[in-house]
Amino acid sequence: MILFLSQQVIEMKIIFEYEEENSRHLQDEDISIELPSNLVRKELPIPDISEVNVVRHFTNLSRMNFGVDVGFYPLGSCTMKYNPRVNEDAARLEGFSNLHPLSPEECAQGSLQLMWELKEYLKEIAGMDDFSLQPSAGAQGELLGTMIAKAYFRFKGEKRTKAIIPDSAHGTNPATASMCKLETITIPSDKRGNMDLNKFKESLDPEVALVMLTNPNTFGLFDENTLKISDLAHKNGTLMYCDGANMNALLGITRPGDQGFDMIHLNLHKTFSTPHGGGGPGAGVLGVKSFLADYLPIPRVVKHDGRYSLDYTKRKSVGRVRSFYGNFGMHVRAYSYINSWGTNIRKVSEHAVLNANYLQSLLKDTFELAYDRRCAHEFVLSSKKFGEKSALNIAKRLMDYGFHPPTIYFPLVVPEALMIEPTETESKETLDKFAMTLKKVASEIRESPEVVRQSPLTTPVGRLDEVAAARRPNLRWQPSSKSNQSDRQ
Amino acid sequence: MDYIPTTEKDRKEMLNLIGVGSINDLVSEFNPVLTSKLELPKPKSELELIQHMKGLAQKNKVLRCFAGAGSYNHYIPSAIGHLLTRGDLFTGYTPYQAEISQGTLQAMYEFQSFMCLLTGMDVANASLYEGSSALAEAALLSCSYTGRNHIFVKGGLHPQYLEVLKTYCEGAELVLTDRVDSNTACVIAQNPDFYGNVENLQHLSEQAHRVGALFVACVVEPTSLAVLEPPGNYGADMVAGEGQSFGIPLSFGGPYLGFMAVKSFLLKKLPGRICGMTTDSRGNRGFVLTFQAREQHIRRERATSNITTNQALMALASTIYLALMGRSGLTRVAKLSYARAHLLNGKLAELGFKNMNSKPFYNEFVVNVPGSAEALTSKLLEKGILGGVNLGDNDLLVCCTEMNSVQDIDDFVSVAAGD
Repeated sequence: MILFLSQQVIEMKIIFEYEEENSRHLQDEDISIELPSNLVRKELPIPDISEVNVVRHFTNLSRMNFGVDVGFYPLGSCTMKYNPRVNEDAARLEGFSNLHPLSPEECAQGSLQLMWELKEYLKEIAGMDDFSLQPSAGAQGELLGTMIAKAYFRFKGEKRTKAIIPDSAHGTNPATASMCKLETITIPSDKRGNMDLNKFKESLDPEVALVMLTNPNTFGLFDENTLKISDLAHKNGTLMYCDGANMNALLGITRPGDQGFDMIHLNLHKTFSTPHGGGGPGAGVLGVKSFLADYLPIPRVVKHDGRYSLDYTKRKSVGRVRSFYGNFGMHVRAYSYINSWGTNIRKVSEHAVLNANYLQSLLKDTFELAYDRRCAHEFVLSSKKFGEKSALNIAKRLMDYGFHPPTIYFPLVVPEALMIEPTETESKETLDKFAMTLKKVASEIRESPEVVRQSPLTTPVGRLDEVAAARRPNLRWQPSSKSNQSDRQ
Repeated sequence: MDYIPTTEKDRKEMLNLIGVGSINDLVSEFNPVLTSKLELPKPKSELELIQHMKGLAQKNKVLRCFAGAGSYNHYIPSAIGHLLTRGDLFTGYTPYQAEISQGTLQAMYEFQSFMCLLTGMDVANASLYEGSSALAEAALLSCSYTGRNHIFVKGGLHPQYLEVLKTYCEGAELVLTDRVDSNTACVIAQNPDFYGNVENLQHLSEQAHRVGALFVACVVEPTSLAVLEPPGNYGADMVAGEGQSFGIPLSFGGPYLGFMAVKSFLLKKLPGRICGMTTDSRGNRGFVLTFQAREQHIRRERATSNITTNQALMALASTIYLALMGRSGLTRVAKLSYARAHLLNGKLAELGFKNMNSKPFYNEFVVNVPGSAEALTSKLLEKGILGGVNLGDNDLLVCCTEMNSVQDIDDFVSVAAGD
């Protein structure tokens, strides 16, 4: 019996389609706004709906959704591990959640202490000398790192205009380089899934500002040449940037700072188990070696004589990348998570790697491995022997069996890619079931292809017409009185 | 605490199948391998953990809040927390697999709709990080659309927003200038501005459009949109800003909610996720992520932005907030915030505090404190009141919302009067 995939039809309205209802809100007759009429709004086309209907609306929406709490969610590159509830309680403590960011420092000692200690933990875990907790997500951490690289070379009086990025990198890496007006040099991968060392050497010229490596990379492989790459980059005066999205493989085992990286961002919503929230919020905190610490954003959280404060001294800081101090609520959850594991944190990564290798062993003969090596915390299969669009069809059919599909068609360089990251919080029984189901779906592709092509059959909606969505965009609800008017330029 | 279900027996079977003797054999190539344990705190049980966290939270002191400046203390209806912590919503991720993500997707569509209705724009994205970086993204979009690289900012922009804009401009090699001419990509104006001033900016949008620049309105206190003319009505091409006022806690500055809404001619340049309505294979209505060809995972170095993870859960919180409040509730919040701020301003005026606002204000205002503003905020602090934000020269930026009761205001005033 699969509970989530109920065939029950929920007739979902859009929130604007509810009939007008009596407002639950009191109205104060005597309040009027005394502003000139050209400043005042004439109409507010937002419906009044009763509380019970709003609660039912969003409860029913939640029933049409899949999260880690619902079932196995092996979405490669995203580290969909269990999110401990106690961390939610911690973040909702009145002292944390109701504190105004411009409260005097003496009223914010608890928050400042938490941020300072989190920074210390992350320094130790990543092997870095300093951290900024400001970036809101991994991509903003990368942006900050790239800005720091530019500022660093500007101070040194060097003109460097390129970033070296392997073809297995997250799309954010080249997108970030472009936002900072750096030219991306793409390096292909070698036969073992490492960045091709010879091609790298050929591209490493005096104009290269930084090398952006994800390690382990998006094939789920620890680059065997990491130390060599760092060494070559440094001899060339180039900075080493680590996309730390895959840090879940490395906790307590090895440290990017010891691998020669000068900067790293960590995704607190991946490795440190803050919930993904349907697409955020995250936190993409940035760690640096001491020679780059002066470039970090202000304010910095500092500690003097047991008292915590915010230091606005500019030094060489690139400035702020956001208001206030970062996604503090995520800092609380990550801090709480690290405190629960403490010195045992290595166990997280050991089991993330164990689970991935176990699942890879179960599946490698049915599919093809992108690279036939032991993996780190995730691995990439190719389903190309099952034909075109097989990765898509497998993903859709898996939903009928109650699983969230793996990441598909990424990395882009693997045909019909299925990128699978089980994480450490899943049991052997879950992994066995998932492997068995994936094999079953593979046999269905040959034996009952029509069923697979039409899948998913048991989800609240069937396959959606993405082409129509882009061709005839409907991106918002229109009040009916305005639906025929054109307000477009 | 230990969140790993694997037993010793499981571990042995798994290692056997993999063909290695120990977990260490699996990680031996992660060089250089650490030889000692990390220096971290002692592991904690759930009980020890929550006691430790409570101890830290108690070191903070939550005050009666008269501070705004980009972070607004509005009431959060109870139902939001209950709905937000439903695991099917908050433990999912970006809805790449639409068939099992209709909850997240439909909420995104509703969020986009609310933002359009409030701002008077045609389309909105599914959220950005927070207000200041959303505004910086709007500047980048303007430059990409116009092919120009000069940005003009009207005075009165939140100083932290200006700092962030400068950081992004430095990275993207753009220039902040003090005039509007044929090199100007966009004109940016915050409304209500940092000091609370409200203005009809029609003249500024016309000035921008005359030279072929875009006009960007920045909204930091979005409850104002319930009563103020939407920026679309005074010529804005884009509205970027902060949605924290809509059901998101102060939380020492984050996570908050960046948003961006634009006129339809800018759709293909919009950064971030966008949800669209479509139909499924059974002919029913459904929702998908659309226009993904703008995004980094497809377009890579030619993407409109690098943003990936956004603030989906905060967008959901604000969607639930707007649904619960409705037209009546939202209007009441705005009117109360306005009324309380004007009440306090009036009472302070009677004490000889000069109002420094150059224009009508909404729920934030600047008063010049006779004597020392710092001394006043210290005295207020003793009474458990966060009196506002000191701007220097004894100017104090004060904010009221529906949370500031008449009693709170009287307490503020009696401290100010030196009673």
